[in-house]
Amino acid sequence: MSHILEVKNLRKEFGGVIAVDNASFVVEQGTRLGIIGPNGAGKTTSFNMISGSFKPTSGTIEFEGKKVSGLKPHKISRMGIGRTFQIVRAFGELSVYEHVLTGIMAHNLRFTPTADQHHEVDRILELAKLQDFRDVTVKNLTIASQKLIELATALATKPKLLLLDELMAGLTFVEIDETLKLLRKINEEMGITLIVVEHIMKVIMELCKKIIVLNYGEKIAEGTPQEVANSKTVIEAYLGEEA
Amino acid sequence: MKNNLEKTAKMKSKPGLIRNVIIIAVVLIVLLLLPQFASDYIIYVAVLAMIYAVLAGSYDLTTGYTGPLTFCHGAFYGIGAYASALLTLKAGFPFWVAFPVSGIIVFLFAAVVGYPGLKLKGHYFAVTTFFFGHFIYLIILNSVKLTNGPMGLRGIKPPESILGIDFSSLQASYYLILFFGLLAVVFLFFLVRSGIGKLLVSIRENEELSEAIGVNTSFYKVLAFSTGAGIAGLMGSLFAHFFRLLHPSTFTWMTSEMVVIMALVGGLGTLFGPIIGAGIITLILELMRFAPEYRFIIWSAALIVVLVIEPKGLMGIVGRIRGGKR
Amino acid sequence: MVFQQIVNGIIIGSTYSLVALGLNIIWSITDIPDFSQGGIYVIAGYASYFAVTLARFPFFFAVLVAMFVGGAIAFLIERFLYRRWRGSGRIQLLCAIALFFLLSNAAILFWTAKAKIFPAYLKGSISVLGSIVSYQRLVVLFVAAGLFILVYLFIMKTKIGKAIRAASQDREVAEVVGINIDTVNSVVFFMGGALSGTAAALISPLYAVIPSMGDLPLLKSLVVVILGGFGSVAGVLIGGLGLGLIESLGAVYISSGYQHGFTFIVLIMVLLFFPKGLFGKA
Repeated sequence: MSHILEVKNLRKEFGGVIAVDNASFVVEQGTRLGIIGPNGAGKTTSFNMISGSFKPTSGTIEFEGKKVSGLKPHKISRMGIGRTFQIVRAFGELSVYEHVLTGIMAHNLRFTPTADQHHEVDRILELAKLQDFRDVTVKNLTIASQKLIELATALATKPKLLLLDELMAGLTFVEIDETLKLLRKINEEMGITLIVVEHIMKVIMELCKKIIVLNYGEKIAEGTPQEVANSKTVIEAYLGEEA
Repeated sequence: MKNNLEKTAKMKSKPGLIRNVIIIAVVLIVLLLLPQFASDYIIYVAVLAMIYAVLAGSYDLTTGYTGPLTFCHGAFYGIGAYASALLTLKAGFPFWVAFPVSGIIVFLFAAVVGYPGLKLKGHYFAVTTFFFGHFIYLIILNSVKLTNGPMGLRGIKPPESILGIDFSSLQASYYLILFFGLLAVVFLFFLVRSGIGKLLVSIRENEELSEAIGVNTSFYKVLAFSTGAGIAGLMGSLFAHFFRLLHPSTFTWMTSEMVVIMALVGGLGTLFGPIIGAGIITLILELMRFAPEYRFIIWSAALIVVLVIEPKGLMGIVGRIRGGKR
Repeated sequence: MVFQQIVNGIIIGSTYSLVALGLNIIWSITDIPDFSQGGIYVIAGYASYFAVTLARFPFFFAVLVAMFVGGAIAFLIERFLYRRWRGSGRIQLLCAIALFFLLSNAAILFWTAKAKIFPAYLKGSISVLGSIVSYQRLVVLFVAAGLFILVYLFIMKTKIGKAIRAASQDREVAEVVGINIDTVNSVVFFMGGALSGTAAALISPLYAVIPSMGDLPLLKSLVVVILGGFGSVAGVLIGGLGLGLIESLGAVYISSGYQHGFTFIVLIMVLLFFPKGLFGKA
């Protein structure tokens, strides 16, 4: 399998504080990768560097063989990396329909959206089971729905790789199961590679084919869910945090 | 909850559309027939109201739809007015060339200011535009050799006749301004409803998310800022060739502030709120012949009252009355 | 001639610094570029004028009146307007600008646009290095210097001053550790208004009392805050004096019509190259 993303010696400092230290990993095309680690391990910072919100202090990120580190977020998005945010972000005043349509416009701007683009919105809303909320103003919806809308809007940009930052946090068990199904569908049927950061172990274990463990900005383990679950270093890192 | 949502969804449907069409038709007919029965004075006031309406509408593109708060729209209006007047007076351009050129000059000028300025964080850009507006006024006031400074610029010619229409008469120039004013409104209307308009609104709503879904936010912010400014410049050109006399005091920070207040009182981000609000209220205030300083007191107080009662402006108040609780 | 201009520059600059000091503290704590201070300045200037002419107060009491009037207006504005919109900075900024226009135009409504001449309270002058400096100008300098020291001591030494400093570092953390943000805001606004009011009372006898008297001090002190950076007393002092000097020397070397424009060019250049101000903390 070929690599869609290659991260080499990635490092980020904030005024002397090291958030990510020398992290290197590769992501295979079509996989579902999980990144876990205690709070402050550098997971979100890594996402922010891959998506362009932060510039790495050093190190490189290559997406489909092209260097993306240092590019502006909108350029990276247009190359095919989509993301959702840890704390939900939404265009609150828009209707759910307009929200997703904005995602399409961002990548394929038309003065007047075409009929195909309208169908595309409907298709995505159906996929995310949002069709009942089509004309509702986004800010009137629950956080769980807004997260789903954020995901749907990211899908509208036709990404090849999706970075999902704690998408499941705050969701009920039923919602988590629904979202898991959706993510599998996105991955298997649409061929979108997923990288998820998640605190809920059940999600990581069920969803991911491979897991990377970060601690204090360093990669301390990498492997299948079973390997990681049985790894001594990982257990120590987690227990160490509680002690 | 769900009932309420259905209600708001229904409100936007057909009956509203028909009502809006009727309102627009009535306004258009009144505007078209006005010179037939109104006195010269009323026509002057109506022209001023139309110009302010378009200024407020174009301001809404930048601040209402895209987000950044600015306080220099009056300066762009002034640059357009003086650019057009000077191009015709000193460079001998015909109005029909000076008019679009002055719009382009202001557009480019705004882009040069906006490109670095819109990168500033927090209130810095808003405050900087306030200074910038005042700076332009000082330049107009003090560049005596070019603008004739505080003595004002006289002898500006009316637009040359075209297609056999002579624009030296009051009525004909009224229709000219009505035509371009409507054109500007139609342009703004389609722009804010277009795909580009959606991108602009996404920047206002959440710039970080907008950037993350692939919108070149710095480009579109500058585009919206410059387009709004360019339209203000065109209005300035029309103003110059209608009144044929320019004075720096027309373009002080008060003018910028008036535009901000009109747009806000009308309701930012609704386009028709600022346009209708600005038009009607200019009309009322001019006809009641308030001295300018009283007008500023009324306007400033009105803005504070609107902010306290309903930050979404008159359109928000109308929506609240019609839609019950939000 | 040049020395005379330098003295004038320092004196006018010290009043900019006073207004800027209040603006700086307000801006760094509440995130409001408080344009209303320009209007407060006007009203306080008239208050001092009427205190001297109508109530026949001695000048020193007139300064106190202006101080109190300025402080009280600012306090009320914060308490009844800005406080409603905490967290929505756009509305606060819009309200601040509307208040600036409202107050300065109210002065036209009440007292007409005609300049009122403030009677001299102290006659005579001294000669310093060949240039003549009136006692009234020296008073401006000394009172401004005294107030600067007072405000500095207040912020550094008192309990509420410590709360203000904490709040300017991080509002949320300050609230968590039990600092009452409402009280801090009230104190800060009263102080800012009082500083503007004092500056107005000090400068009025040198020029005149007119409704547009607040325009330049407001613009210049906003420039000082932006150039000097937030939370920097030294930045305010250097910025204010520097601007005063540029203005009075500029009047000699650059055409007087452009001198204020020159300030704004400096501002725009600095913002482009140092977006956080010259003395701002990164």
